[in-house]
Order: sequence, then C-alpha cells, then structure tokens
Amino acid sequence: MTLDAAVVRTLVGHELRMLVRDRRTVLLSVVLPLLLMPLMMFGSQAMERSRLQRLQTAEYSFVVTGPAAEAVRPIIDRTLARLRQDLARDTSALRVTQTVSADPIGALKRGEVDFVVEAATAADVPVVTIVKRGDTERSSRSASRWREALRETRREDRARLLADAGLPVSVTDVAIVKDASVATEGQVAGLTLGRLLTMMLLMFLLTGGSSMATDSLAGEKERGTLETLLTTAAGRTEIVTAKLLAVVIVALTTTLIQVGNLLVYVGFKIIPAGAGFSAAIHPAATALVLVLFLPLAALAASGLLLVSGHARTYKEAQFLFLPVFLCGMVPSLAAFLPGLTLRSAIVAVPVANVAVAVKEILTGRFDWPMLAVVFVVNAAAAAWLVRLTVRALSTERLIAPTATDNVAALGGAPLFSRHVFGWFAALWAVLIVTSSYLGEAHVRVQVSFNLLVLFAGTVALILFRYRLAPRDALALCPVKPAVWLAVLIGAPAGLLTGIGVFRLAAFVFPVSPRMLEAFSKALLPADFPLWQAVVFVAVLPGIVEELLFRGVFLHGLVRRFHPIAAVAAVGVMFGLMHVSLFRLVPTGYLGMLLAGVTLVTGSVFPAMLWHFLNNLLGVSSSALDIPWGSFGPDVYGAAVAALALAGWILWRNRTPYPGLRW
Amino acid sequence: MSASIAALALQKVFLDEGRGEVRAVDGVDFECHPGEIFGLLGANGAGKTTTLRMLSTILQPTAGSATVMGHDVVTAPEMVRRHLGFYSASTALYPRLTARETIEFFARVNGYPAGRLAARVDDLVERFGIGPFAKARVDKLSSGMKQKVSIARTVAHDPPVLIFDEPTVGLDVINALDMQGVIAEFRAEGKAIVFSTHIMSEAERLCDRIAIIHNGRILACDTLAALRQATGHRYLEDIFVHFVRPDQAPPAAGGRS
Repeated sequence: MTLDAAVVRTLVGHELRMLVRDRRTVLLSVVLPLLLMPLMMFGSQAMERSRLQRLQTAEYSFVVTGPAAEAVRPIIDRTLARLRQDLARDTSALRVTQTVSADPIGALKRGEVDFVVEAATAADVPVVTIVKRGDTERSSRSASRWREALRETRREDRARLLADAGLPVSVTDVAIVKDASVATEGQVAGLTLGRLLTMMLLMFLLTGGSSMATDSLAGEKERGTLETLLTTAAGRTEIVTAKLLAVVIVALTTTLIQVGNLLVYVGFKIIPAGAGFSAAIHPAATALVLVLFLPLAALAASGLLLVSGHARTYKEAQFLFLPVFLCGMVPSLAAFLPGLTLRSAIVAVPVANVAVAVKEILTGRFDWPMLAVVFVVNAAAAAWLVRLTVRALSTERLIAPTATDNVAALGGAPLFSRHVFGWFAALWAVLIVTSSYLGEAHVRVQVSFNLLVLFAGTVALILFRYRLAPRDALALCPVKPAVWLAVLIGAPAGLLTGIGVFRLAAFVFPVSPRMLEAFSKALLPADFPLWQAVVFVAVLPGIVEELLFRGVFLHGLVRRFHPIAAVAAVGVMFGLMHVSLFRLVPTGYLGMLLAGVTLVTGSVFPAMLWHFLNNLLGVSSSALDIPWGSFGPDVYGAAVAALALAGWILWRNRTPYPGLRW
Repeated sequence: MSASIAALALQKVFLDEGRGEVRAVDGVDFECHPGEIFGLLGANGAGKTTTLRMLSTILQPTAGSATVMGHDVVTAPEMVRRHLGFYSASTALYPRLTARETIEFFARVNGYPAGRLAARVDDLVERFGIGPFAKARVDKLSSGMKQKVSIARTVAHDPPVLIFDEPTVGLDVINALDMQGVIAEFRAEGKAIVFSTHIMSEAERLCDRIAIIHNGRILACDTLAALRQATGHRYLEDIFVHFVRPDQAPPAAGGRS
C-alpha cells in the first residue's frame, strides 16, 4: 500500500493544530518542565551547598567515657589543640568541644552530644571507639572527621617518637603513588555524559510524547472521533503514520527545548557543569548523536502510540504507560555496564545499542559499521511497532464501541481463557515457595505433594470455579487405534530428539556434567525401588501433569490464541514448571510435542501415554544404564525421522479438538 | 442501472470467546440506487449498525461481499470511503476545531480538490445555516448546532452515497424533523442513501424501500405499499410484528385500523 502524502500532510497538520489548542497538554508537556527542570536543579544545588555550609561551620560536642578515659586524655587534648590551630588558618576545619555527661550514650541518643569517645583497655593498650548515631548526618560526619583528626595526631606522635629514638623519617623516604590517564579531560567527561545522555533524552522523549500519544489515539476513541476518522478516505496506515510523525515532532521539540534550556542554564553558570564538559560536546559527535536519536525518537513515539492504540480510554492508556516507561528506560542502562562495546550482541537490542553507541561516540570511538547497524535496528523496531499499531486500528474489539465484549459478565470458559496465565503464575509461585521447604524431603513426598495436591487441586479448582465440563476441558475423548501406534513410535523418538535439542542448547547455556549427575541422583535416590520409581516418576506425572497442562491450560488457551501460539505457550509453561533452568529447554520441547499431539488427536489420552513412556525411558536410563545422552548424530537423525513418521500417522488419524478453530 | 450500493450474502460473525459464534449479520442482500432512500428497520441488536459498519469498512465482513459505487469494501476500502459519507450517533466531532475547520478538514482528508475547497466549504456553511457559529469551537456549540456541523462534514466531499445510522437517536422532535428534511433533500439531489432506524414513523415517512431486519437476517424487503399488500396490515408497526413475531401479530386485513 502506498501512502498518500497529501493526506498524511493534512492529518499531521490536523494533529498539531489540535495539540496547540489543547492548552493543558502544552502547559504540562512544555511550559511546566521548562520552568520546573531548572528550578529543580537550581534548588537541589542550592540546598546541597547550604547543607555542606551548615555542616562545615557547625559546633560539635562530644563526651569521653570508659575505663581508660584518663589514659587517652593526652591524645585528645593534643588533637583539640591542633584543631584550634587549624581553625585559625582554615575556617572549614572541624569545630569541636568536649563536654561531660553522666549518661554519655543516652545523651548521644537524645542528640545532646554528637558523638562519644569510648576508651577501653584491651591487652594493656587503650582502644578508642568513636560511637556515633548513624541515622543523623551531623553525628556521622563529625564522628568520621574526629576519627581522622585523632589518627593524624597519632601519626604525628609516632613520627616524633621515632625521631626521639634517633630514627627520623623524612617525607622523601616514602614512595609517592600517583595515577595518570591517557584519556583527555573531554573523554573522561564524555564517559560521564555518555552514560547518562541516552537515559535522559529517552526520558524527555517519552514524557514529551506521552500526552500527545495518549490524546491522539486513546483520546480520539474516548471522544468518539476515531470512528469518524476511520470512515474518511484516509487509510489506517496513513492515520498511524501521521500520528507517529506528530508525536515524533512533539517529542523531539520538547526534548530540544529541554536540552537547550539546560544548556542555557549551564552557559550562564546557574547550573555548574563538570570539568571538561564543553570539551565533550564536539560538533561532529553531537551531530552523530542526533542522527542516532532520530530512530530512537521514532521508536519511543511508536511505542507510546501502540499503547495508546490498545487502550480504549484515556485512563487505560495512562495505566499502560508505566510498563512502556520501564521497558524503555531499563535497556538504556546498558551504557553503565562496564566493558560492553558495540561489537557484541548488544548491537541487536534496540535502545540499549543507542545507549552504548552514544557512550562510545562521546569517548571518541567511531565504529561506523556498527553505528549503521544501530540505526537500522532501531528504525526497524519502530517500523514494526507502527505495523502493530495499524493492526490495533483494525482490531474491531478496540475500535468499535459496541463490539466490546462482555466476557467478564458471561463468566465460565471464556473468562477462564483469560485467566490461564494468572493461574499458571500463582501455581508457579506456590510451587517455588513449597519446593524450598520440601527440598530436603524424599522424592516420593515431593512428587506426591506437587502432583496430587498442587496440580490435581488446581485442575479441580479451575473446573469448579469456571463450571467447565470435564470432558471438554480435559479433552477426555476416544481416539482411533492407529494413534496408539504413533505414540509408541513417537515417545522414544521424542525423548531422543529432546536430548538432541538439549545438547544443541547446551552450546548456548552450558550445563556442567556434575550438575546433571547431581540432578539424576536427586530424582532417583538409591533406596528407590524400581516399581516406586515407575509410579512416582512415570505414571503419576503422565496422568496429572497432562490433565493440567494438556487438559485445562491448553483448553483455555486455544479459545483465545492461534493453535501454534497455544502450543508454544503450553510448552513454555511446562518448561517453567520444572523450575530448574537447565531443564527448561528439554521439558519445554516435550510440553510442545504433547500439546501438539493433544490438539491433533483431540484427546488428552495419547499425550498421557506419550508422557508416561517418555518418563519411563528416562527412569530406565539410570536403572538399566542406557546411555540416552551419548548417542551419535546418526541415532538422533533416525529419531527425527521416526518422530516425523509418528506425526504423519497422527495427522492422518486426526480428530477435532473441542472448540478448536484452525 | 447499476446499484450504488450492493450487498450480497453479507455476513458478520463475532467470535466472542465462549458465546462462540455470534451471527450479528447473517446473509444480508440488498441494493440501493441513486435517488433512493433504503431503510433498514429493526430493533436494537438486529444487526443494523453492524451491516452499516461493514459498508463503511470499519468492520470487515466474515463472508459475502459488498460494493459501493462498484468498489469492493474488502479489496478497495479507501475507494469505498472516498465515495461515501457516514453519519451515526457515535461519530463525534473534534471538539477543538471550529465548525468551519471541521468541514474543511473532512473535505480535504477525503480528497476534495484543493482548488474548489474554499467555495465548497462556503456553500455548506450557508446551506446548513452554520454561518453564525462558523468560527466557534465545536465544544462550545449546542447539540442542534453540532448536528448541523455533523451533517455538513458527512457530505463535505460531496459523496454519491450516504449512510445514516440511526441519525435521529437522542434528538428532539424539531431536530429530528430537520434531519429527515435534510435526508429527503439529499435524495432529491440523486444520492443513494441507506438509513437505519427503529422508529416506525420515520421509516414510513422517509423510505422508498424498507428492509425489516431481525437477528441478522432480512425478513422482508420492499416498498411500503407492497409490504402492506403482502401482509394485509396498514401500519408499519403491525407489518414489523407480522414478520418478527408471527405468533403475536394482530389479525390481518386492517387490524386495529
């Protein structure tokens, strides 16, 4: 589809005109930050200065206490005398006076003194402890400065003692350690600025664009003008493009105003800038940074629009902005990761790659091919979000007010299909908490509790809560005889291919052999009779886990998602439910296979047999010493072929899954 | 003569999770010709709005097809909208534009030639008596004034086809009569008009042909005279009940008259 430039121009003009007329938005997104930002910075600077000033000039008091108080009196007196001398030369020196108190610690707690010097004797040496109130700045500051002063006195004493003993120590005897940097002052400042810049600008872009984005889609829906607009000759792509351009224009304008505003204040020295700040802002580097911020602005704007397009009201849109904010801001922290350069996987991550690129540019490194990749990645991500927004404008549920659903009121199965992930999350949380308590218990206890209490209980609760018909919800349907043959072929093939997948995945997430060994020991302790292993590891999971995952969860998900998405979601949930990270891949794979089998056969029973066989073979590997994990590629190849055969048989003998639409 | 609007076996199924398939529109056929007002008469939830939203390409039909001025609503939705003015109680105006700017914006975005734009806007402002408040912002206007601006923006680009979805809902008697008068004027100009309502008197007064729609299906579709003849009822109300609730209909041949 081609864009009609005249229509887009008309729409952009229209958006901007309406924005300018909305005084509240203009006030909130431009005028207010313009005034507030410098005020805030100025205010915090002023407060910081006056705080330091106050701490500097304040009079502090302390009490000396403890059994060795008399022994330490000389050193304290000498320190006080030295501080008085210092004060004559330097007004910022510590002003401190000694007082007396019957209850020194009580006085400290009441704030009557700022710290307490406790002198005790340990092995004939006086030990001085400086007791402070860590929760007040006044006390901790003065205590640490007093400690420094005491140490200084002790150093002087020691030097004098050594000199008296005929061992004079001169300053030149001690090597002087200095550090030097090959980086220019500009590069050092560039690092500081480069780390912060993306985050700051992204914040400006998101805050500047958010009110406009909310107003332009969610606001139009709420006011009922979107339907009017959708019946005009303007296409949905043109509408979204125009709105995107408008949001980008507004976001960039407010960002430029903010940055310019800051620079003006820095220029007038109202806000102090760090050393080398002006050296860091090189014209060429600045231009390059601006070029990189263009796709970032488009990305931020399209993210905001997408959220706005998915909200049905203004309020809903504002609700959804927090996640967008976090999703945007968190990757920009990549600039703070030490040693991370653009020549790494980070170059493929939108936002994060800009953060790293900006840091590199400001420290004088220009990695041109990678910078081009950064630009393209962000532009592509923005284009993808625009496409999603166009789709949201074609989603009837989101645009036509009367097509809104009343699912919540209807309850039952449709409501459950929305709650599947919620149930899963709750179950997962419970499982993690209980497994930390049951960790030491015998595998019999663990399996019985997880399967018979948690999983079976969840199935029963869901059936009861949503009044689901067990036959439909659990897919308890008969299948054709040939299906069983397919399962007999498929289960071992599935196990082997799963191990293959796991070994491939191990290249990405390496798992140490010792971990694997420890795991199989934990699952199958030596005192576990074979029949019990079969019951607890193969039979029970085969039944109960299937009823939960390929039963209710799959049933709920296929009502809402495309079958492939439902299969993938069931697989991921099944993988996550096995808690440990390195089992995620193989169990996730098995979960997807089993979900696929259930959808094709329209019944949970084949998946039960498959799951049982899979686990039985797994048990046998340790009981009968079958080396499942160390076959060559030929065996895995044969397994893939066998799996394909099983799949073909299943497909030929498929029966419809209740309520499934392909 | 070819029809300005043609709907053929038009169907809309909402897959509302759980209720399963809701057949909002279930095989609707009709045609509407230039200079004709075609009425869709039905109770709330009969499928009127869904049908009209499919014609205006806001919703996509599940099955069947429809064309507006020969353009298919699925394959050429932009061309359909270019030839169409859509008015409903739920299509609101931009509150921050003035009345004049509203008309201008909709004419421009619907591709009205830029050279004749100003003259067209002047014409509309005069024709609908918008002059006195042309420079006022829409959010400051009364509902009667808004209604005039709404009609003007619907026909801003002079489309050959007009769709009015329950245009008199929420209007007082005078405004409703004004609306009916305006629609009749458009017919006189040769526009093809589809008009939906649940008010019998309005359909009786205005429509050249009436389709009685119920549960997504058109139960009867003809001129008022032919419907009277076919059912033996004089009042449209009775004719309506005759089709929708055959068991509750009063006896034929005059009925209560």
